[in-house]
Amino acid sequence: MSICQYPPRFKGLTIFGLLAPQQAQAHASEQGFVLLLPTDAYIAAGTACVALTVLLLALLPGSVTAALFRPVAFGLRIRAAGVAPIVSCLSCLLLATLVWAGLYGPRDPLTNPLPLAVWTVWWVALVTVQGVLGDVWRWLNPWTGPVAVTRRLLRLPVLFRLPAWLGQGGSVATFLGFAMFMLADPAPADPARLATVVAGYWLFTYIALLMFGPRWYWRGEGIALLMRNYASLGLFGATGGKPGFGLTGWQAVAHRVPRAGAAVFMVVMLGTGSFDGLNETFWWLDLMGINPLEFPGRSAVVKQNAVGLLVANAALVSIFGLTVWLGLRLAGGDLDPVRAFCLFAPTILPIALGYHVAHYLTSFLVDGQYVLAVMNDPLARGEDLLGLGTFYVTTGFFNAQDSVRIIWLSQAGAVVAGHVIAVAMAHAIAVRLLGDNRRAALSQAPLAVFMVLYTLFGLWLLASPRGV
Amino acid sequence: MTTGIVKQSGTTRRGAIKTLAAGAAVGSLPLWARYTQAQTSEPIRIGFQVHRTGIGAAYGRWYDRTTTAAVQRINDAGGINGRMVEVIAEDDGTDPKRGAEVVEKFASQHNCDIGFGTLFSHVVIGSAPRAGELKLPYFVVSEGHHVASGMLNRYTLQPGITDVKSQVQAMAPFIAGNLGKKVTMIYPDYGFGYDHRDNLKPAIEAQGGEVVGMIAIPPSETSFTKYFPKIPRETEVVYHVMVGPAVLTFVKELGEFFGPSRPEIFGFIDSLEAVDMASPGLEFLEGTYFWEGMPRYAQPDQTGHDKLYRAAVGVDDNGASVSDPKDVSTYAHMFGCWETLYVIKAGMETAGYQGPADRAKLIEAVEAMRHMPLSDEHPQGAKLFNGKTHQVFGPQYISKVTDGKLLVVHTTSIEDTMYPDEVDYTSQAF
Repeated sequence: MSICQYPPRFKGLTIFGLLAPQQAQAHASEQGFVLLLPTDAYIAAGTACVALTVLLLALLPGSVTAALFRPVAFGLRIRAAGVAPIVSCLSCLLLATLVWAGLYGPRDPLTNPLPLAVWTVWWVALVTVQGVLGDVWRWLNPWTGPVAVTRRLLRLPVLFRLPAWLGQGGSVATFLGFAMFMLADPAPADPARLATVVAGYWLFTYIALLMFGPRWYWRGEGIALLMRNYASLGLFGATGGKPGFGLTGWQAVAHRVPRAGAAVFMVVMLGTGSFDGLNETFWWLDLMGINPLEFPGRSAVVKQNAVGLLVANAALVSIFGLTVWLGLRLAGGDLDPVRAFCLFAPTILPIALGYHVAHYLTSFLVDGQYVLAVMNDPLARGEDLLGLGTFYVTTGFFNAQDSVRIIWLSQAGAVVAGHVIAVAMAHAIAVRLLGDNRRAALSQAPLAVFMVLYTLFGLWLLASPRGV
Repeated sequence: MTTGIVKQSGTTRRGAIKTLAAGAAVGSLPLWARYTQAQTSEPIRIGFQVHRTGIGAAYGRWYDRTTTAAVQRINDAGGINGRMVEVIAEDDGTDPKRGAEVVEKFASQHNCDIGFGTLFSHVVIGSAPRAGELKLPYFVVSEGHHVASGMLNRYTLQPGITDVKSQVQAMAPFIAGNLGKKVTMIYPDYGFGYDHRDNLKPAIEAQGGEVVGMIAIPPSETSFTKYFPKIPRETEVVYHVMVGPAVLTFVKELGEFFGPSRPEIFGFIDSLEAVDMASPGLEFLEGTYFWEGMPRYAQPDQTGHDKLYRAAVGVDDNGASVSDPKDVSTYAHMFGCWETLYVIKAGMETAGYQGPADRAKLIEAVEAMRHMPLSDEHPQGAKLFNGKTHQVFGPQYISKVTDGKLLVVHTTSIEDTMYPDEVDYTSQAF
């Protein structure tokens, strides 16, 4: 796609030919070293690891899989119910300050605290913490506190009832809206633009929560559902009214079966994460007719990314549904395919989390340094609060084969671990559903093939040359 | 804390906050006092169009670091016309459409005096027309031939870095005279490669040489072994300008193909800008030659100007960040920001620049410039500015990889880089 009348001449386009969605992608140079790594061997090993897990689970007694996800309860109970709204209000105040900084602070997205807070601290880091540890968003979200205070002060009743037929459709829609902004908007890191979007979304959700009550939080607010889903993977949670600890996914296995909308949402989380990697590859750019060495900028691919996001999600939902249905046919069960889809959808979550970690690890390594710089001198008064002294952001770790190998293997490890846990979760659910291990294994065959192929796809994404 | 991101933040973040505060304070003054205030303490605002995100981000980081260092030095020395310089950095996402929007913000939202700093050619080409419409002087640091070709407008200038046409043609005398007369070119099959293809061939022929092979590689290619057998046997010099993530693979495979008996090899450092020459796979480059815009490694005859510039930007003798020897800078290009800012300073001082009403005077002052001697302000080398084409000309460096470092073996004359004018911007009305 040509955006100018004359062929652009890229004096200065080097091996850095890459980007990611929002923050500086100075990490690009690691791509040259990645292409020199024996990634074919790594990919084969990672995929074999997932395949062997499938085999192992089929051979082991079903009780072993079930035991994997059995939590350990702590003795102590923590009562801090009244604190959550206060933390939420403080979180809202912090958000308001950040929005102010976005509107009136520096224009540079790596100097302004808002884009760093939203894309690096919240989206990359906090979402990961939520998925690894447990539900911190319940405390930190900027809505529940202010809504509770407003409702109390104004003695406001819930004005409207959210139609039941909507299910989690609102959540899917708002999350896709968020994903569209992140992936298809030309400038999601622009401080003023981001401030407007963040403030607008906060206000929209605040009003919706006042109008529809807490139901909106679980059925209309995409971020909340995303966070709740990731929290269900957390090592820490509640079991039998007590705090508990278990293997990643223990809460998701124990939770009641999600409704159809929530199940679709889980698959959309993975579809969005996968497209976020796919849309940067040479393969995708070639498909779009774009020279991968002269990417014309995000403005030129708004429609392609928007349509691609929707198509990728629709395709993944269909493939996943088909796989689950095929498995049930093989196992000879009489389970409703929709219910089966809902039963197995949570097994997608660890894969989505693995992709999230893998995809953003490199940008986090760089942008995390910019976050440190801002924290060192939050009011830009030349302070040195963290004692960093002279502090230059570096990308040197992308310039050496050894460090690039460690980074790549860490990313691949996250993807493979996500799939291994997903396979184990699916098996545990199948054993619980079908009773015996043989039928469970049979029902898992198509899903296992799907998981193995998706591992291959995920690792291929990491090893592929990228052009944006 | 004297340098680095903290200080850089100081220039941008602190600057922005100060401006807000100053704006609020000035707004509360009576009109006459406001006028006086503006005349005495309003900073010169330079809109820095920086590739913070997108494919140019790695360059953007170093352009930002160089700009910060230069502005700090200018301000430490009293600013421009007694006024401090404030940099307003806006990310263009390395995106031409956003580039035009950024230029518009500089002119209408941020009250910038000028726009500055754009590298990637497509962003320059997308932004320059808007700068022309808004009558905003737009100083680019792009190396593209688009300025001197006449494609742009009177408000767009490139006074701090030479263009690709002069760089390529200046290589021909050295290649034909020292490496060999039969040249095979390997280049990516699109605009960037065509710049080299179209400019080198006539220049080599003018030196009595011959381009015996032209191998265009599809941009999405990641393995190159199948192309190497196409290199004619009579080839004495391979001229390569491969770019993109597969460039390290290209070098490795080229080394494996030729083994110990290879022809001479000449490349542009653009391929390996910001890449550690000691990286595995690059051993094959030992004894090969590279164009460099400015020598990455401090040379035995290093000038005091280069020494001062390196220290100010925080770059060591190997061209890497002083805080991380693996963090190699874009040394061959980023000096352009430093030198351009000093041209702007000199132009504003000559024009007696007071504010946006003097923008045309500023352009005329820069157009009238001719010789820029080697100095702290021009550490890359002496320059010759062509006011008609708005393009600067200067020395180019040819370095040989020696013990894993780039050692300068030839410096071109400015005359080697000159070519006939293709436009006279001074004939265009403001």
